[in-house]
Amino acid sequence: MRQVRAIYVAYLVVILVGVVYCTALGLLGR
Amino acid sequence: MRRFFSQNSLSLAFGALFLATLVAQALSGLADFNDQRVTDGLQQISLLRYVTSATFGVDVMENWQSEYLQFFLYIFGTVWLIQLGSSESKKPGETGTETDKEQKVGNYALNDSPAWVHAGGWRTSLYSRSLGLLMGALFLLTWAASSVSGWAAFNSEQLMNHEDPITWLGYLGQGDFWSRTFQNWQSEMLAVGSMAIFSVYLRQRGSPESKPVGAPHATTGQTG
Repeated sequence: MRQVRAIYVAYLVVILVGVVYCTALGLLGR
Repeated sequence: MRRFFSQNSLSLAFGALFLATLVAQALSGLADFNDQRVTDGLQQISLLRYVTSATFGVDVMENWQSEYLQFFLYIFGTVWLIQLGSSESKKPGETGTETDKEQKVGNYALNDSPAWVHAGGWRTSLYSRSLGLLMGALFLLTWAASSVSGWAAFNSEQLMNHEDPITWLGYLGQGDFWSRTFQNWQSEMLAVGSMAIFSVYLRQRGSPESKPVGAPHATTGQTG
């Protein structure tokens, strides 16, 4: 289950990084 | 290593497909964006400039938000809503949050139930809704991100057309924001509704999203 948890965390990280990145692009007025 | 891939092939395959299609979106989005630039008599931009633009950001986020809205509504909706004969639905009469015995909480928790099931109180209550709440939170976050990147992309267009930029709140009242929102929402609602009703009469042998091939049409909530 440790490997399953790693995939679970990876999905969460990718989603949150995507949200922060796209928000930053907007705030920076890119 | 082989066992790792075979035991996690669903999430790994879709994760890989996500990355591949995101790259495809960036490449085709750049081609489309540059076509428009040429039409407008402007210089073309690089891939790096495109993937660091708010235009790319809003195109990604507007789709993410609708997917998480779909799952949020589906997870909470299927607690209470029924479709007779659908593999996606609970049986009629089973609506609601069900008993502690059925849900294996409280006195009925198993020895290896998750820790927050044994914790009781607010932690068990929160954990009991954690999947839907996460989807709802991701929907709100991605929708907010889509509004901020959409706002910047909208203002870039405004400046190119020699028009004044608008505030973020002003953008929330623009047709651009709501058009991007609703064009994604409508497709998700149709997809969910059609999946619920199509699974009554059609089968996919071996898929847990389908009833067993030989299951009667009236059988509800059975997967094979």
